[in-house]
Amino acid sequence: MPALTVLGFDTATAATVAGLTFNGQSFERRDDPAVGARPGHATRLLSLIEDLFKDGGVGWKDIDRVAIGVGPGSFTGLRIGVATARALAQARGLPIAPVSTLRALAAGALEGISPIEGISLRPVAAIIDARRGEIFAGVWEGEATLLAPQAVAPDDFCQTLRQLGCEPTAVGDGAVRYRSMLEAAGALIAADEASEHRVSGPAICELGARGDLVSLDKVIPNYLRQPDAEISLKS
Amino acid sequence: MILALETSCDDTCAAVVTDGGVIRSNVISSQGIHDRFGGVVPEIASRHHLELVNAVVDEALHKAEVTLDDVTLVAATQGPGLIGALLVGLVTAKSIASSRELPLAAVDHLHGHIAAVFLEPQPFEPPFVALIVSGGHTLLVDVTGPREFALLGQTLDDAGGEAFDKGARMLGLGYPGGAALERLAQDGDPNAFSFPTAKGVKGCDFSFAGVKTALLYAIRDLGEKEADRRRADLAASYQSAIVEALVQRAQRALDKTGRARLALGGGVAANGALRGRLEALAVDLGIPPRELCTDNAAMIASAARSVEPLAFPMYLDLDVYPTGAKGL
Repeated sequence: MPALTVLGFDTATAATVAGLTFNGQSFERRDDPAVGARPGHATRLLSLIEDLFKDGGVGWKDIDRVAIGVGPGSFTGLRIGVATARALAQARGLPIAPVSTLRALAAGALEGISPIEGISLRPVAAIIDARRGEIFAGVWEGEATLLAPQAVAPDDFCQTLRQLGCEPTAVGDGAVRYRSMLEAAGALIAADEASEHRVSGPAICELGARGDLVSLDKVIPNYLRQPDAEISLKS
Repeated sequence: MILALETSCDDTCAAVVTDGGVIRSNVISSQGIHDRFGGVVPEIASRHHLELVNAVVDEALHKAEVTLDDVTLVAATQGPGLIGALLVGLVTAKSIASSRELPLAAVDHLHGHIAAVFLEPQPFEPPFVALIVSGGHTLLVDVTGPREFALLGQTLDDAGGEAFDKGARMLGLGYPGGAALERLAQDGDPNAFSFPTAKGVKGCDFSFAGVKTALLYAIRDLGEKEADRRRADLAASYQSAIVEALVQRAQRALDKTGRARLALGGGVAANGALRGRLEALAVDLGIPPRELCTDNAAMIASAARSVEPLAFPMYLDLDVYPTGAKGL
């Protein structure tokens, strides 16, 4: 069976990331705003997709499916990505494969490990800064999920790692922010500027290529957190 | 054929309108989930818009008996409104348009409220003065063409519809309570209490902070039991003050412009007391049906007819703008 042509994108973090896998080749276009700058999700995503189409020499008729990072991450960012995926799928009659942004972060990190050295691969903890003293985190070992994505306080997460006896490679902006705490729990973290800390467009595409297809109305962000108004109403 | 989306607050709307202004479909999905919070919660509204928007678009196309192949222009509200809510509609519109290389019209929400009166079957032609009163906006505009308007006045604090809703809450009528307040007012005496009409605010601007505070104090001074007994009088007097303030400014706008034609728009256009008082002004009144006064996408399509559309791919980087940032 020929490889699928997948358009994938993710807007769960500050970055706007789009990828294309076509004919055994991978392309990526991304917009990484400066620290503290407003993310370009709403303004950059469709332009990046157009650029990718030019890079790959493809058009909408060539696309087999849309892969979309459904978070967890920034609520507004997630909605921009998911609204884009749903509308593109609706307008072009394309199927959608939702992908966990944390899983894609972890997959991107595994790519960077050589197969020989990787015989005793560490698990990978993908960690996104969730603000308000929390992180969105999940841990994978190869295909197996050791810890499903959750919103958690960093010290509680470190405690869980210790209890599991897990000393993972940790990636993501959350790993960078809470580096000292995580390293004290045995995590291995690449330099702040390393590409492993960023969601990769091709990783979204590759996971989407083997992921389940979901009907458009079922593609919703994995917020992992209720709106503040709901929380205060309950309390 | 124009496909339009509107998601600036808590209604998820899509409509199909012909280039000639004939409404082929006008789908409005009111979320109705904010009542327990006593007001629209932006994050919750945004989440629901995302879940509803594609189904609402599908329904609009289906009801219009067209497909996306028949659509020649996509339109969406760009602002003003709730950022997160607006984003869902604009991003969806941009994505549908770009993937089909269609042009896109970015519409100002307030232009939409004015353009509601241009729709068939009874278009109200300029020039006229437009009074737009909703939960988010209150303004008077001199309209001289489909896209030619001059702002005559606007609210300095709360919107008229917001004043209705906040008053209703004080009277224990829940949220949104504008319609419930009007029903309660029918059994009351509008002269029982003297509430202010912002006399100190000159010209065509509005202010509803004073009347709101006056109601609060009246309830406090009466005491819980007496205030409850006189709820209908309080509601009638409160409504009367708001309506009076609106009508006074509308009259000033007509005098100032020398026009004898007045269009009404926004959710408060449904208020019978306001309609009655405006009819008494003896001017030519243009009031669209209720579903075109509250937020809807047919009015966005109507406005799009006079907006310069952006050809593909000129709109890919288009962003929304929040309340107060731009607009009329």
